[in-house]
Amino acid sequence: MSVTTAEKTAVQTESRARAFRLWVTAGPGLFWIILFLLIPSAVLLGIAFMSSNDYGSPTMPLTTQPFQQVAGYSLLGWDDGNIIIFLRSLEQAGIATVVTALLAYPIVFFIMTRPESVRPLLMLFIVLPSWTNQVVRTYAWLELLGPNAPLTWVAHMLGLVPPDLGIAPGGFAVTTGLAYNYLPYMIVPLYASAERLDWTLVEAGRDLYASGFRLFWHSVFPQTVPGLLSGVIFVAIPAFGDYVVPQLLGGDRALMIGSLIANQFTETPDWPYGAALTLIMLVFTGAGLVAFRVLSRKLGGSGEATI
Amino acid sequence: MSNVVPRNVRMALSGIAWPVYILLYTPLALVAYFSFAPGPGGGTHSLHAYNVLFRDGDVGAALQRSLILALGSATLSTALGTLLGYGLCRFRVANARGIAANLPSLIIYTPIIMPSLVFGISELIFFNFVHSTTGLLNAGLLTMVIAHITFQVPYVTLTVFARLAGLDPNLFEASHDLYADGIKSFLFLTVPVVQPAIIGGFLLGITLSIDDFTISFFTSGPGSVTLPIYIYGSIARKGISPEINALGTLMIATILVLAIVHFFLNRHRERASQLPV
Repeated sequence: MSVTTAEKTAVQTESRARAFRLWVTAGPGLFWIILFLLIPSAVLLGIAFMSSNDYGSPTMPLTTQPFQQVAGYSLLGWDDGNIIIFLRSLEQAGIATVVTALLAYPIVFFIMTRPESVRPLLMLFIVLPSWTNQVVRTYAWLELLGPNAPLTWVAHMLGLVPPDLGIAPGGFAVTTGLAYNYLPYMIVPLYASAERLDWTLVEAGRDLYASGFRLFWHSVFPQTVPGLLSGVIFVAIPAFGDYVVPQLLGGDRALMIGSLIANQFTETPDWPYGAALTLIMLVFTGAGLVAFRVLSRKLGGSGEATI
Repeated sequence: MSNVVPRNVRMALSGIAWPVYILLYTPLALVAYFSFAPGPGGGTHSLHAYNVLFRDGDVGAALQRSLILALGSATLSTALGTLLGYGLCRFRVANARGIAANLPSLIIYTPIIMPSLVFGISELIFFNFVHSTTGLLNAGLLTMVIAHITFQVPYVTLTVFARLAGLDPNLFEASHDLYADGIKSFLFLTVPVVQPAIIGGFLLGITLSIDDFTISFFTSGPGSVTLPIYIYGSIARKGISPEINALGTLMIATILVLAIVHFFLNRHRERASQLPV
């Protein structure tokens, strides 16, 4: 052994000093997140297994009753209300994701065909609306879709909406609101992968007499899949559990899981039931996340930032 | 590269993109348009709603709280996030594997991934529990600041980390060789070098704070109504009024102006730094 005891201690002191510095610098921030987010969310999930007292607050003993409530069982028997709300949330999130993806492709490639100097400005105007407050940019759609609003008149003339009612509140208004709110979250990652696009592959495809849709599908689209998958995650997950949009644009006819959960903590308190709903929502969200990670690994390339 | 795209495709792309751009701003423009609704004096439009708004003490108080919330939380989260990003970049054992080594990353990504509703309700329950057992942390501006710091820290951390990771590690070696200790090299090397990232993180924190409604809603108390909560409550009670539109217009205009000014200042600075020396 050529390493002396002195050298060993020096190395040990060095790594101990390093660990100490890591604790001093990274400690406070990590501690903050653990104390004010990880512990609270663990408490929330724990409450899902507790009973509810007369005021809707959690008490002992432990029980699975909140989950039976989630499944639709109550004193009055089984009811399909919750399943409908879950399916509606999935449907709304799914439609919003598809709509944003279909809009994002032409917009991203429109920006790519503009001179390089104006592209950042065009991107700025895509993300700008999402920097205004959630409530303001969501209620703004009532000016177009509410009763007595311009698009509602058009819908009345076409007979799409019964008279005296607006497009909002309703399911279509929620879809619109979600797509509007989350469009930048689809465009930004897609733009990032379009910027790295290898155009020589496109030229090669054209030289082989591929054209139009085939050229896009075989040479452009595969290169943008990582960006698309990131976008799908960024849109689908928050849209599924969104609270502001269904609350302001949905009304009772378009209740989504987010409002259902929030109601258990505000209007008609039943914390254990609300916590169980949250747990189920997180399971759905987590499953979606894992599925897309597996998918994006299989399709090669991950567009995620690493720390 | 763009010459690969044929002319008719480019026309089609423009035909889709420009209407979407217009649609992005139509609702916001309508908010502004309806804020100039005629007052009791008649006419087609007026500044009546703005007059009412400026004389409304509740709105003034809500604005003040929103500013305290945004500036207070962004300041603290910038401090915590900068230290965290610095520590992870400089002192974490490189290429470590396993759960323990990845734990900090997992912790940092949790606030970003967690749906804001779950975030808000977790905080509601936690603050409620702490208050009922210790009497501290009554729901109000303080609990809102704490929650806002929690969701801003990861973004500041990532911004600072990205900047530091792009630096030459020899810089730190050099400062060490010149007898700078940890604190000196942090204050006189790290802080000046990552200053743009720190400022960027601070501005991002303010933007996130101003943008948020859901988390604020669940952590606020009766005495801590901020602007978004005021607007939400007002719409829930009596629908949209010209005053709400006037308030919305001012909020939209502030963000638009700040963002555009920031964009062009940044661009100017980038160009200046790209000049051949």
